[in-house]
Amino acid sequence: MSAPTQARVLPVTDDPDSGPFFEAAARHELVIRFCGRCERALHLPKAFCPDCHEDAGEWRRVQGTGRVHTWTTVEHQVHPGHPTPYTVVVVQLDEHPEVRLLGSLPGRAEVRPDQAMEVWFEEVGDGVVLPQWRPTTVATTPDTATPEEDGA
Amino acid sequence: MTNHAGRESWQQDRTAIAGIGATDFSKASGRSTLTLATQASLAALKDAGIDPRDVDGIVRCDMDTVRPVALADSLGVRNLTYWGDTGPGGSGPAAMVGQAVAAIQAGMATTVVVFRSINGRSGERYGKGYADDGRAGGGSTFEEFFLPYGMQTPGQYFAAVAQRHAIEHGTPPEALGRIAMACRRHANNNPAAQMHSRTMSMEDYLGSRMLSTPLRLFDFCLETDGACAIVVTTAERARDLAQPPVLIRSVAQSSGRDAQPGLMFPALLRPTTTSWSSKPLAETLFARAGLTAADVDVAQIYDCFTITTLVQIEDYGFCEPGGAGDFIQDGTLEVGGSLPINTSGGHLSEGYIHGMNHVLEGVRQVRGTSTNQVPGAQVSLVTSAPPPGGSALLLVAA
Repeated sequence: MSAPTQARVLPVTDDPDSGPFFEAAARHELVIRFCGRCERALHLPKAFCPDCHEDAGEWRRVQGTGRVHTWTTVEHQVHPGHPTPYTVVVVQLDEHPEVRLLGSLPGRAEVRPDQAMEVWFEEVGDGVVLPQWRPTTVATTPDTATPEEDGA
Repeated sequence: MTNHAGRESWQQDRTAIAGIGATDFSKASGRSTLTLATQASLAALKDAGIDPRDVDGIVRCDMDTVRPVALADSLGVRNLTYWGDTGPGGSGPAAMVGQAVAAIQAGMATTVVVFRSINGRSGERYGKGYADDGRAGGGSTFEEFFLPYGMQTPGQYFAAVAQRHAIEHGTPPEALGRIAMACRRHANNNPAAQMHSRTMSMEDYLGSRMLSTPLRLFDFCLETDGACAIVVTTAERARDLAQPPVLIRSVAQSSGRDAQPGLMFPALLRPTTTSWSSKPLAETLFARAGLTAADVDVAQIYDCFTITTLVQIEDYGFCEPGGAGDFIQDGTLEVGGSLPINTSGGHLSEGYIHGMNHVLEGVRQVRGTSTNQVPGAQVSLVTSAPPPGGSALLLVAA
């Protein structure tokens, strides 16, 4: 893997719809927006619930475990801040299977369908923190705490 | 419940494509997109036998750099009374034709040029993706959930779709390879195709460089400089023009539900990754036409990537959901096979004019003038693929 020749791509973190996701990530918390009335997950985050048509959304902390939905190992270099190869994973949350989030693993990662994944929080510079995903390293039961990087 | 909006009120065969025109397809046109658009439009109007000054409507793709009034100025149009655009991008061409149909049926125009002009290789290359040097996302793009993780190009998105299709259905790479090979074999008979002189074997396909697993170089289309245009008018008027009219039997657009916002990557968060809005779209399209997939003689199926075509083959009902890997055998998608597709070579081997070259080839098949003519073709399907929404056309002979 070659070294990056410029900074990696950072997200806008103060968007009115998605900002709270990244604000929570900075606290090492994984949050998803839900409709406070019908409990539907509003992800990607939006103000109004498409079922209730109410602006009653709430950000709630969710368990940081999931399963691999799909992936791709990127071999063709496009952005100089993201040297190839690397593997992008699409992870479906265990607790809310209708919610999917992306993660990235270095190199040609060995990934399997439905592989158990856990969240961790990556400091990517400029004060930005990304929720990231890696193969589950600790045996967990539904009662144990979310396996976050620093136990936050 | 599927909403077949307009199924009862849709009017078949009232409008027609009266003319088609294209520029050469190249890696470096050396011309502006306005010049390319003008050249293709003049060719389409000449083909139809219509005086360019008589054009009164223009529809463009929302990602085009040429605006309708600019093209009207370039064509010497007396007075443009209707213009519009739709998309996004490649999901738009059939819907662009649909806008022309709607404008004509509503009495807002009589003679509508629909065009796409792009310096897609020498100018802005879509394959480079959406990440630049600044912060990514925000502004209702939702790209902040994708670009920072390295999901940055259309090829990477479609690779994740292809991987999921393989997970769910065991789809082998050879099925994708046969799509690429069908396009290439058709291009080998089409002198206008950029890959006219280059053959492709399965060995060539499987040996091509992996760009984003499981997609290889030959799963990707050809970034291209060029333009395509058509002329839409009433079926009645088309009968008196230079070419045999090609009737618009039906046209449809569809978003499906729970489509997710944004342009492309958010589609990975839809309930299904391997079936798209092309599925409800096909239901509306065929219901309006009074036809089924079994009636289709030849299809131009949008192919920015091979997997794009494979998913649509299932969504349009040419095989069972998940069954494309079995359906696509040697020759299936070539002239003489059960579903001849992309008979000009498609985006994969003719050129990427963002879905408009597919409309032109769909017309040629009904006229009987394709370089890969399907004998006796009566029903010609043209698709413009998701995400986010999609659109499609069914063309028939008069």
